[in-house]
Amino acid sequence: MSQLASPVPIADPIVAIEGVSKRYGRVVAVCEITLHVPRGEVLGLLGPNGSGKTTLLRMLTGYLSPTSGRLSVAGYDTERERMDARRRIGYVPESLPLYTHMRVSEFLRFMARLRGLDGNAADTAVTEVAAQVALGDRLAAPIRTLSRGYRQRVAIAQALVHRPDLLVLDEPTNGLDPRQIIETRHLIRRLAGERTVIMSSHILGEVEKTADRVAILLGGRLLAVRAIAETPDLEALFLSLT
Amino acid sequence: MSALGVLCRKELHATFTSPIAYAVAAVFLLVTGYTFSLTLFFTKVANLTYIFHQMYVLLILLVPVLTMRAFAEERRADTLELLLTAPVHEVWIVLAKFLAALALVTCLLAASGAYAVVLSVYGEPDLAPIYGGYLALFLLACLLVSIGTLSSSLTENQVVAATCSLGVCLMLWFADSAAYIVPPPLDTIVINLSLIGHFTTFVSGSLFLSDAGYYLSLSLLALFLTTRVVTDR
Repeated sequence: MSQLASPVPIADPIVAIEGVSKRYGRVVAVCEITLHVPRGEVLGLLGPNGSGKTTLLRMLTGYLSPTSGRLSVAGYDTERERMDARRRIGYVPESLPLYTHMRVSEFLRFMARLRGLDGNAADTAVTEVAAQVALGDRLAAPIRTLSRGYRQRVAIAQALVHRPDLLVLDEPTNGLDPRQIIETRHLIRRLAGERTVIMSSHILGEVEKTADRVAILLGGRLLAVRAIAETPDLEALFLSLT
Repeated sequence: MSALGVLCRKELHATFTSPIAYAVAAVFLLVTGYTFSLTLFFTKVANLTYIFHQMYVLLILLVPVLTMRAFAEERRADTLELLLTAPVHEVWIVLAKFLAALALVTCLLAASGAYAVVLSVYGEPDLAPIYGGYLALFLLACLLVSIGTLSSSLTENQVVAATCSLGVCLMLWFADSAAYIVPPPLDTIVINLSLIGHFTTFVSGSLFLSDAGYYLSLSLLALFLTTRVVTDR
């Protein structure tokens, strides 16, 4: 299995994951994963529920600390230089956590200021990111009144508002209707030109249509990393590995 | 604006727009106002000692309700994940929540200052116990808010957070009772752990650094533990 994972070293990777494990007592959630992601790539983490995708993403964003191994983003260690690393990450958790009592513009301004943008810079960033994710006509709306699709856009907007190098999306199409799934996919592809995107999904077709490379996880282990363009039958590969 | 400033502004907005804050404020001011009026009517003495003791009990009962949502609500709504993946030190998140809740309690105490003004206008009260009483209530509020914040950081259930916080505060209140059954020198420690023992001296107009140190050191300990709970993931 280890030869399938093929963690080929990449010159100047934006994300470097080196032998990372996460244990909760005797339960191993993530086991010895090594993975490098180059700038500008869309990497899809594919695996069934409980395969360790969310845990790996949470360690990358600094929400969880690894039990062993090290992770870095843009050269900054996510543990020792966590503030520098976090400034370069935009993160959208699966549950779309939002302050629903706030208006969209208020929430985006709060997140921008929290990430170090001051008054005018924060306002400009909010306007730009709202246009980027097509939220312009909803800026004054209270978040609690928005549909799941619009909440998804707000969540992505807050992750982009400080112009991060890396965008981390945990199950970005979860709970969306078919039209919203297509729109989210197109949005991710648009963003990919400007920054690196790591997204997780348990839907094989979603990863196939959105990502440049796929990393397949099962039981906390990385089974394979493949370029989508060089994998004509992802379904057969996934079945053969899992 | 610093990260602490941004977080404080958000927490103040959340605190002062919460219906819980207005319910607590209404109960606090209604009960203390009722007691103040009755006491003044019957005794005709310009003294707030009785009111301060009633505020002491009310704060122990009401502050857990104010602080229960601090972290528990963020955990329930998963928004804590947003805060903890932002480039902000955990201690600022804890301090912002502590300061916002303390600001509300301070507003309640300030509103109750109307009773002291009434006494000063219509009588000649001894001001030392009044200043001491308000200082004691502020220090007590610091400790109760920090215990409530710690309790809220341990669970995503607000009722559990409020109940645990209330339990700890009540145990601190009654701690000196255990002095009768524990041997020396533990009895001295238990007596000195008591909330009421350090409160009464202030209200009588005597200020001791040891009493202020008790409230401040326990508050800092609770805030330190809260930061550890939030950081330890």
